[in-house]
Amino acid sequence: MIFSGRILLLAVALVGCGVAAETGKMVPLDVTLPGAAFKGTPTNIQTNSYTEPYSDAPPAPMMVPEGLKNLAPSAKLSSSSTNVSAEKLSKIVDGDKEAAEPSIVLLRKGTQYVQMDLGSPAEIFAIVLWHAHAVAKVYHDVIVQASDDPEFKKDVKTTFNNDQDNTSGLGAGTDREYFETRYGKRIDAKGVKARYLRFYSKGSTESALNEYTEVEVYGRPAK
Amino acid sequence: MNRWATAGALLAVGIALGLRSPHLQWKPMHNDEGVNAVKFGELWEHGAYKYDPSEYHGPALPYATALINRLGGAPDYKHFTETRLRVVTVLFGAALILLYPLLCSAVGRKAAIWAGLFTAVSPAMVYYSRYYIHEMLLIFFTASALVSGWRYWQSRRVGWVAVCGVSLGLMHATKETFILTLAAALLALGLNQFWNRQLDASGVPARAPRLDLRHIFAGLAAWIVVWLLLYSSFFTNPRGLIDSLTTYANWIGRSGKTNPHAHEWWFYFQRLLFFHADKGPIWSEVLIFLLALVGAAAGFFRKGLGDGNASFVRFLTFYTVFLTAFYTLLSYKTPWCLLSFWLGFILLAGVGASVLINLAKFQWARSATVLALVVVSAQLGLQAWQAGVLHASDLRNPYVYSPTSPNLLLLVEKIELLANVSPEKHATVIKVMAPEGDYWPLPWYLRKFDHVGWYDKIPEEPFAPIMVVSAQFHANLDEKRTHGMREMFELRPGVFFELYVEAGLWSAYVEALHQADVHTTPRF
Repeated sequence: MIFSGRILLLAVALVGCGVAAETGKMVPLDVTLPGAAFKGTPTNIQTNSYTEPYSDAPPAPMMVPEGLKNLAPSAKLSSSSTNVSAEKLSKIVDGDKEAAEPSIVLLRKGTQYVQMDLGSPAEIFAIVLWHAHAVAKVYHDVIVQASDDPEFKKDVKTTFNNDQDNTSGLGAGTDREYFETRYGKRIDAKGVKARYLRFYSKGSTESALNEYTEVEVYGRPAK
Repeated sequence: MNRWATAGALLAVGIALGLRSPHLQWKPMHNDEGVNAVKFGELWEHGAYKYDPSEYHGPALPYATALINRLGGAPDYKHFTETRLRVVTVLFGAALILLYPLLCSAVGRKAAIWAGLFTAVSPAMVYYSRYYIHEMLLIFFTASALVSGWRYWQSRRVGWVAVCGVSLGLMHATKETFILTLAAALLALGLNQFWNRQLDASGVPARAPRLDLRHIFAGLAAWIVVWLLLYSSFFTNPRGLIDSLTTYANWIGRSGKTNPHAHEWWFYFQRLLFFHADKGPIWSEVLIFLLALVGAAAGFFRKGLGDGNASFVRFLTFYTVFLTAFYTLLSYKTPWCLLSFWLGFILLAGVGASVLINLAKFQWARSATVLALVVVSAQLGLQAWQAGVLHASDLRNPYVYSPTSPNLLLLVEKIELLANVSPEKHATVIKVMAPEGDYWPLPWYLRKFDHVGWYDKIPEEPFAPIMVVSAQFHANLDEKRTHGMREMFELRPGVFFELYVEAGLWSAYVEALHQADVHTTPRF
């Protein structure tokens, strides 16, 4: 519903622009804008594993049906990045969400994904995702897709996508980018039914490499 | 000065340029470089420069940039590049070495050559020669004052004292901290004279004919002329002369322990002698430090100096110790300040290298010493390449301080791409909002845009086709859906911008992107 509302507003805005354009030549409004104020040397911040993330405020609670459980620990994991073994990938679902290096799985640069096979179709209501939260950073092109096809060629449902310019080629998303925090990114999966999940990302503001600390998938067996 | 010293200096200049010149555009402009660039731009475009006693240092940098670029046939400000600006400090950093042959009679010929080589490869010297700030100009003018002061001391020719006066004037017009250099030099001069007369009677004292007061006045006059011209912006801003004096009250007020750049006493030594950040390599210029100790000791023991002058070496030691102590005791510390006293260490290291060679009794020992010094220099050069070029924005580099993230260049690229699909092109209105003006160096990077507004809070009417908003504001300017928050970018570690783009412009951009009308470079 929200998505449809956005499309409607965008359409109204575009029509509005078109009407205005027909009434005459458009010129930029010449507004006097304030000039830049000079600034002295900013304080040096040495980032390290103790640096607080950007916002330490806990997110609002997410409402889900009763009786869900985290399906991720029993899932089988694979990845587009060939540099990680299955043993290393299993750290993504081991319950360790600490910011320390041993808790993080490092994938190659560019758009990479981690794929989760839940074993059988499940009804998924919430996904919580931690890339890496030792320092303040923002991950790009975070996309979460669900499907019953292990190749993700048919029946693909996108539950989150903040790749707004479609540089990863999976379709332009409308979700916002966000800061990595110790609370993880909570995604409302709206009861999507699927056996497989894919978690995409394309580097961060800090590095071109991709990091995954933990993924939790809250759901129940599909009826 | 002789042919060997000159040839050695030229070789060192070649090495210096080889380490300082490549890929000057790679490192994003630092906050301070951005401010210096925009101040230069005002001078270049409008002939306007006004000294600000509260910050940003003296007029020598913009005027030197303008002079060098007038000679080089430069474009209008919008078409200036980071490389063109940083070439100015590269030239001063390399030209510094050309002054050393004039110190042959002071430190010795071999010492002058080795000091030139150490200057060429010192990671600190290389890093800040590639940095568009005032420091390398201050170091060059300091060396110029030292050289001309020594030549006058030897010859008593009025020309040298005039050069010394001009050099002092240019130091004064470069950075307020020149006062520390001057104080250290005067204290060292007094202490050295005492040492010569009271404690070194067995040796041959430095020749010290009577000073001619007219010469001293000539030197002071040269200094005052430079001060008058530059601080008054060539008589267009007389207020600058008063400001150049009152500025010290401001700087003294900021030197307390509560300033944002207050650091422990070992701040400089840690960076120079042993720096090892988590997961980073080990950085060290300790070999220059150790050679300097050898050189300083030789000045006091009169051993192995060859054709060097023990009195000058002692003066250099006192000067370096005093200046190091001043910078160590001041709580206000930024890493580029270390260059002022590191110059003294490098000159003494040249003496130390010469002493080690001179004290070797056999030819094979001398050859082995030279070989060892060359290996040491090569290792320093390798560190300099790593620090100055390959890891120039990496916080694990000891010379990096509050760096601009390379990620910011992607924001600039995205804004350019958006402007490219906008009918207004570079006349597109952009609003940048960040607390306390914390958006530098964006004013430099957005210099081609005609309509950029800079705000330290969210204005009553914040909307524009492109908005760059500090993440600290939690602005949510996409609530009305007329604009979308498209991506986040890092200004510095832990400091972020949100990019908001008007919906129609974003649609045009995405459409053009996928029709291959615009191209993005891969991240990093």
